[in-house]
Amino acid sequence: MTASLRSPLHATHEALGARFTDFGGWEMPLQYAGTLAEHHAVRSAAGVFDVSHLGRFAVDGPDAEALVGRMLCNHLGRIAPGRAQYTLMLTPSGGVIDDIIVWWLAPGRIIVLPNGVNHDRVRDAFAGAGADVHITDLRPTTVLLAVQGPQAPALLATILGTAPKRFRVSEVDGMVAAGTGYTGESGAELIVEAARATGVWERLTAGGATPCGLGARDTLRLEMGYPLWGQDLDVDTTPLEAGLEWVVDWDHEFVGRDALIAQRAAGPSRTLVGFAFPDRRIPRHGFPMRCGHSIGVVSSGNFSPSLEVGIGMGYLAPVPPADASVEVEVRGEWFPARRVDPPFLER
Amino acid sequence: MTVPDDRRYTDQHEWALRHDGMIRIGITDYAQEALGDVVFVDLPATGRRIATGESIAEVESTKSVAEIYAPCAGTIAAVNQVLAEHPEQINADPYGAGWFVDVTPDDPAEIDRLLDAAGYQALIG
Repeated sequence: MTASLRSPLHATHEALGARFTDFGGWEMPLQYAGTLAEHHAVRSAAGVFDVSHLGRFAVDGPDAEALVGRMLCNHLGRIAPGRAQYTLMLTPSGGVIDDIIVWWLAPGRIIVLPNGVNHDRVRDAFAGAGADVHITDLRPTTVLLAVQGPQAPALLATILGTAPKRFRVSEVDGMVAAGTGYTGESGAELIVEAARATGVWERLTAGGATPCGLGARDTLRLEMGYPLWGQDLDVDTTPLEAGLEWVVDWDHEFVGRDALIAQRAAGPSRTLVGFAFPDRRIPRHGFPMRCGHSIGVVSSGNFSPSLEVGIGMGYLAPVPPADASVEVEVRGEWFPARRVDPPFLER
Repeated sequence: MTVPDDRRYTDQHEWALRHDGMIRIGITDYAQEALGDVVFVDLPATGRRIATGESIAEVESTKSVAEIYAPCAGTIAAVNQVLAEHPEQINADPYGAGWFVDVTPDDPAEIDRLLDAAGYQALIG
């Protein structure tokens, strides 16, 4: 696939010397000064990411809550208007079509944020469900910025007048702000009209936020053990296998529920296991792994800039005993790793 | 992008420099820039025999892994142990402190067949 889509901030990134990468058809910044420096900026101060490639559409109307309820396996009944929730869209057999954040602005007003590569599939499923809602695609008219790091709340307060609290959603000054992110740090994600994107970006960077690319986004999310759809999650993987049962609200009807109930009763045949190397050796997606009599493949792996060791996770079948040690094959040679229940880094 | 004229270059972006009777090997400024932040280097053992074009090291960045190929045949005489804890030296000083290995060459003249600085500069444009 050739990268043909660009953020409204593309020229701004070019002027900052960004190196770009193709991500699901979008040409997005991979790094500016360097992935390590950007990673450390987010852990110690504040960084800003242009993640406009991520999906986002509004679901407005009297059936909005009911539609989200039956399409997704988490449930709005666990939260309240003005809050965000992590959730999943499943196949009838329980596989993960996408992992999604929903921003519940107000009764009858919800913004659904799928992964960029799954935006059309998720939006089309919502639009075709026959519900009394109006679906508005927000990608063509807005940017999505993530402002993350221990200094992000103070910086956001200077721009928004207030910093969104964790998983709170609000509309401020024509923007929609949610206290969400993909780094483990405090901060927010902002939906901003495209015409205002450059101004908001420049206020954030002038206020001290380091421009950060998708390289740092990946090392930051991996340190927290956050799954990446397409690597750690896919339509052949269930939330029970992925350690995401906490995202499943069993007390409501949703697509995939019957299959998950059956799998829960039988026990999953494989499970996601995290591990850390004792040194800088790096596990990568696709490397073989084993643990006792269980075998599998690394789904995500990289260098942890905070811990300065290689970390990763992967699926092992059958489910191994908790005390079995992990080994990972790196280009033909097996190396021992310490088993870690993510997050790798306490925040 | 700097290309010092005191050494020779391969079209795989390694450099080879005569150094205390041995051949010192590293990667170019262009190569480190393309790799991004280097976070791990797997270096060969000293005493290992190497053939021209053989993979002698692996360099990992946060986004990819690259192999380093021997620009000449010989024996690994020394490796830059500093890189084990400070692989970022490859980014900071690719032609100096970021060197990889010293090789006792079978034929000290072999590297003269590689690209000179002007030839390498032409390659990377």
